[in-house]
Amino acid sequence: MEGKPVEIKASRIPKIDKIINYKDFFGEYPIIFAIKIISSLSLIYVINEFYIYHNPMDSLLTKYLGNSLKGFDPNPDVFVPWCFAAGFLFYIFTIFKGRYKFFLFLLIAGSLGHYIAEPAINVQQGEHIIPSKVEAEGLGEKNVTKWTWKPVKLVYDDVEETENRIDDAASRLTNIIFGSMPFLGAYGIWKRKGWAIAASIGLAIIIGFLYTPNLCLENFEESYCGYETKQEEKTWNEYLSSGIFIGLGFVIYIELSYAAIKYENYAEQFKPAGLDISLLTNAQRKSVSKTLRTLFVSYLINLAVILFVTFIIAEVVININKYLATSDGQIQDSIELQGPYGIVFTSLLFFLLLGIIRMFIGPDNKMKEA
Amino acid sequence: MWSKKAAAVAGGAIFLTLAGLIRLNYLFISAGLVMLTFVVISSFLDVWMPNVKIRRETTSDNIFEDGTMSVKFIIKNTGLGIGFVEIYDNLPPQARIIKGSNYTLLYMKPWQEVSFEYSLKLPLRGHYHLGPVKMRVKDAFDLFYSEKIEESIHSFSVFPQIEVLEEQVITSRSPKLLSGAMPLNVIGTGTEFYSLREFVPGDSLRSVNWKALAKKGKMMVNETVREDVMDVILLLDAREVSAVGGGKDTPLEMSCRAAATYAKQLLDERNNVALMVYGETIERVDLDRGEHHLFKILTALSSAKPQGNLKLEIVMKDLLPHLPSGSPIILFSSLDDDHTIAEAFTSTVSRGFTITTISPSSLDFEERMKRIPMEPLLIAKIERDNMISELRSFGLQVGDWKYGDNVNTALQEI
Repeated sequence: MEGKPVEIKASRIPKIDKIINYKDFFGEYPIIFAIKIISSLSLIYVINEFYIYHNPMDSLLTKYLGNSLKGFDPNPDVFVPWCFAAGFLFYIFTIFKGRYKFFLFLLIAGSLGHYIAEPAINVQQGEHIIPSKVEAEGLGEKNVTKWTWKPVKLVYDDVEETENRIDDAASRLTNIIFGSMPFLGAYGIWKRKGWAIAASIGLAIIIGFLYTPNLCLENFEESYCGYETKQEEKTWNEYLSSGIFIGLGFVIYIELSYAAIKYENYAEQFKPAGLDISLLTNAQRKSVSKTLRTLFVSYLINLAVILFVTFIIAEVVININKYLATSDGQIQDSIELQGPYGIVFTSLLFFLLLGIIRMFIGPDNKMKEA
Repeated sequence: MWSKKAAAVAGGAIFLTLAGLIRLNYLFISAGLVMLTFVVISSFLDVWMPNVKIRRETTSDNIFEDGTMSVKFIIKNTGLGIGFVEIYDNLPPQARIIKGSNYTLLYMKPWQEVSFEYSLKLPLRGHYHLGPVKMRVKDAFDLFYSEKIEESIHSFSVFPQIEVLEEQVITSRSPKLLSGAMPLNVIGTGTEFYSLREFVPGDSLRSVNWKALAKKGKMMVNETVREDVMDVILLLDAREVSAVGGGKDTPLEMSCRAAATYAKQLLDERNNVALMVYGETIERVDLDRGEHHLFKILTALSSAKPQGNLKLEIVMKDLLPHLPSGSPIILFSSLDDDHTIAEAFTSTVSRGFTITTISPSSLDFEERMKRIPMEPLLIAKIERDNMISELRSFGLQVGDWKYGDNVNTALQEI
């Protein structure tokens, strides 16, 4: 008995790594995970900031959709985190493996279908659930049985509730369109998709920026529009400052999310084809981690310096513009400086100056022919 | 140079600024200007370009078709620059990477030596080279980059695949001074059995067949086939028409594989082998023997390209006066588009040469690619069969080599 080999039977319960590729979530290197988190926070910040100044109701889309957007209340404090969470959950869905992903999809589709259909369709159950023998009636004899089917009938019961749910779904669909920005951004950051990040920026510009603010307040109630821009009557200076912060926020979001992709690609190349990075020796892993750390620190220093310079230049442009616009003289008379044209005029002077400096400093960058 | 990302950010920024001007929107303008400023300031960052020394270590300088070659790419930063470098080692378009990658992203410190490895598979014979090496360096934000091409070339050859021949069919009646392993079909000193005859005084007792003595009751001796060194001429048809088909499936590729197989076998048996490749001109590798000579023949076969339309009769007229009389000639040709074949064969045989033909069928490739309708194809096949039958009726050995068969199968037909 002692010499008999012990047979270990495999458990029927699948291991977690067979169900979900959790390593895709954490990654192999903490630094990449950290960049993704910081990038996600910057996305939430910038879009939240963006919606404070640009209510989605002011976009071209809402102008033409008009009153069909019933129940759409884009409060940024609620709207942005939820849309981000949706994009993040979509990413989580993608890391499920094989058939488990399919099961999850069926579960989601089933739940959604049940949610919409549940109030309207009422299944009335008969006495017999499955075909079974019942006592035959009308034959005049006792203890005579026969096979019979369960009587089932579908009754359209609460149609009104279903209509409400359809309206609700339409409202959610609107949310999806306007929430695609944080949705795509979140998905892009975590799934290493450059196009999703680029699309989220594009959507931000298309949806949010492509209309003059305050259209919503002209057509709807203040409580519905969800921001107080008009009432406060912000000055052009405040608008400019907020624009600078939104611009800087976008730059940080773009740079950090692309940095996560870049560093992940760098780390990926050391992974043996189709295999796990755990096959690398400790020395190799330490070497890659060290390189990533060094790179990220130098990257952060560069980013911080350039953002600082950018911020300073933006502030200088505002102040010079303000000075010129408020001082007496020929310049003020000749051009409307206290407005967009004035800002661009002042900025162009700065870019001209930078162009001259650029002629003597920095690398020779030329646009490559297509 | 500008990267796509830089162009996109700058384009977006300009769009925002202009849209802000049109809509008189401060936010538009300021956000656009911030993004534009970021790009402009970033352009001041220095994009370094490393000075490097590149070398490659390969498992072999020459491989056979479908063989693999491992390449170790070693790069040393001899400059003082530091940063990320993308390295792309250019490969021949026919090469398939089976392990590793010819592209890498490296972080290089001054005087640091870094290496990476990859393995290649090349399915087609020819002369190839690895390199030049393309290097790309980007700034910290991937907005601008600079490219440099290092002319570091590593040449190598892919030889035609060699099969193992199962039988010997090439014979000659022109013995040389040195003995070899090629049977001449005449009685002589050798190892291969030829016949039995009665013992005559002077015969060595070592040649007595003792079993025959026991059976017949009289002394019998074994006679063996005389084996000797031969001069064998391999003649390869590399005319333009031999490129029918595609990739590895062309008469020329099949002929090259067959010629390499024959050359190997004949040289292993210590024969003298010459190779003549005709197409636009006649390329020659003169008679010689040994391992080194095999290398020369394989190199010449790797260089064979389908071009020109030199007819066989002209080739023979040019070659025959220079060939040792009676030498066997092995022709590798699809026998397509040459009306001089019959004349060429007749003149060759009449001068005392034996000629054996291994003919890959180009019609099989056409049939496989379905470029010719069935009826014309059938007629072409009948014409080819008739031609081969006609040649065989002259007493010539012609092997009709079908697509997918190996060289041995073609030999068995002869």
